[in-house]
Amino acid sequence: MKKLNKLFFLLAMSASPLVALNSHAQQVVTDSTLLDRITTLEQQVADQKPGESHFMVVGLATFGFVQNKTIFTPPGGVSSSVKTNSLANADNYELSPMLLWRHGKNFLVEFEPSFDGTTLGVNWANISYFAAPGLIIHAGYFVVPFGIYSKRLAAGWIDKVATDPAGFDLPGSDFGVGVSGGLPLGSMKWSYDVSLTNGLQLLPDGELQGAGVADNNNNKTVSGRLSLLPLSNSSLEIGVSALHGGVADVGSGYNNANVTMYGADINFVKTIDPLLINIKGQYNRINVNKQNYASPTDSSLYSFNNKTSSFFGQLSVRPIGLDQPILKNFELAYRYITYTTPSNSAWGQNYHESDFGLDYWLSWRTVLKLSYERTHALSTANSAIGGSTGVTDVNSIYLQFSIEF
Amino acid sequence: MKKINNKTWIMIAASAILVAIAINGCVESKLVAAKSGAQLWAENCQRCHNTPSPNSFSHEQWATIGLHMQTRAQLTDKEREKIVAFLSQ
Repeated sequence: MKKLNKLFFLLAMSASPLVALNSHAQQVVTDSTLLDRITTLEQQVADQKPGESHFMVVGLATFGFVQNKTIFTPPGGVSSSVKTNSLANADNYELSPMLLWRHGKNFLVEFEPSFDGTTLGVNWANISYFAAPGLIIHAGYFVVPFGIYSKRLAAGWIDKVATDPAGFDLPGSDFGVGVSGGLPLGSMKWSYDVSLTNGLQLLPDGELQGAGVADNNNNKTVSGRLSLLPLSNSSLEIGVSALHGGVADVGSGYNNANVTMYGADINFVKTIDPLLINIKGQYNRINVNKQNYASPTDSSLYSFNNKTSSFFGQLSVRPIGLDQPILKNFELAYRYITYTTPSNSAWGQNYHESDFGLDYWLSWRTVLKLSYERTHALSTANSAIGGSTGVTDVNSIYLQFSIEF
Repeated sequence: MKKINNKTWIMIAASAILVAIAINGCVESKLVAAKSGAQLWAENCQRCHNTPSPNSFSHEQWATIGLHMQTRAQLTDKEREKIVAFLSQ
């Protein structure tokens, strides 16, 4: 028995280095696996760490169908009508990817190309520097600060009806520099947005348009908007806007032609359970100083009081507080527009539009819109210079889908 | 020496008062300072569009979108910071 115990002891002693060696080998294998896993995790963390810069693409897409009937009645004449059906046009088709590039916490580059079914354009391409609390300095090609529609409400997934209101194209986007910001004022808030841009261009018939890529003169245009949010819950915003600048092409025959624009806007959004009430409105006035224009018919000079005004008021109601999941996604909207262009010009008219909208929100940024729009335009144009006279009535039905992605 | 008339003095005084109000007034009240990111999200986003779902974007994306929204809606810096923090949760 003693011999057997001694043999076991000798066996155990001789085997112990082998066990230790095996254990060491397992640990090496384990450590190697762990290291690989750590390396993988480190790579994943490195891939996902915020970094200084961030780039992303968002944007919007709008697709629609429109059916309209146009009735034209010449002065003292017989009415004639035309019906059209269209799956895509500038009013109900748009694809606008927006590229946002944030550099650190103080720089933002925004670029939004846009295809409207006929042209590929750019809505804005600018850089903003968040210099201090309440102070953003921006430069490039941006939406000129004037009113609220163009800068905030024009996107298809935001607008409650299918089309943009007539008479709110100007001043549009332009090249320049600007400063803006929002600041507290006790329990209120106020904001400013001021810019210096190339400005608008006066056309031979007295209409205005954006000057485009090439500046048309050496004058610069100053524009700005001031707003006050007097209620602590930010439900009400009242804004005033102004713009002034030269508009004549270099070398043109105009006499110090310039434009002055005034505007006022209001935005009220409040939940009165179960309804979300949304009221928006804007008034624009455009004054071009007195000029002589060349008649396209005989090149004689003529003049007119070049003043344009436009207004839209919009009310929409959504039963957002209802428990009923389908009903709470519906929104009813009504918009009224007046747009008066100069009488005795080649493009004078008194235009009125009423729009009725029924929207269904598939998500917070996806909407299906059914809009009925009725317009009435009485021409006040001067037929002696080629203006078209008469009355034009248009009834349109839009079915539009819009998404922000 | 040319005498400054009363109208000019009134204009100077009025301008000084306005500047003082603007500088000193650019401080939020306790009521506003106490607002949470969720409350500011509910109040401000719907001024233009529906209130976004926090799940729509990642933290990094919300930080970028927050700057973009500040340029559009002229949010104050504190509003933007609180709203982005809420949406990033």
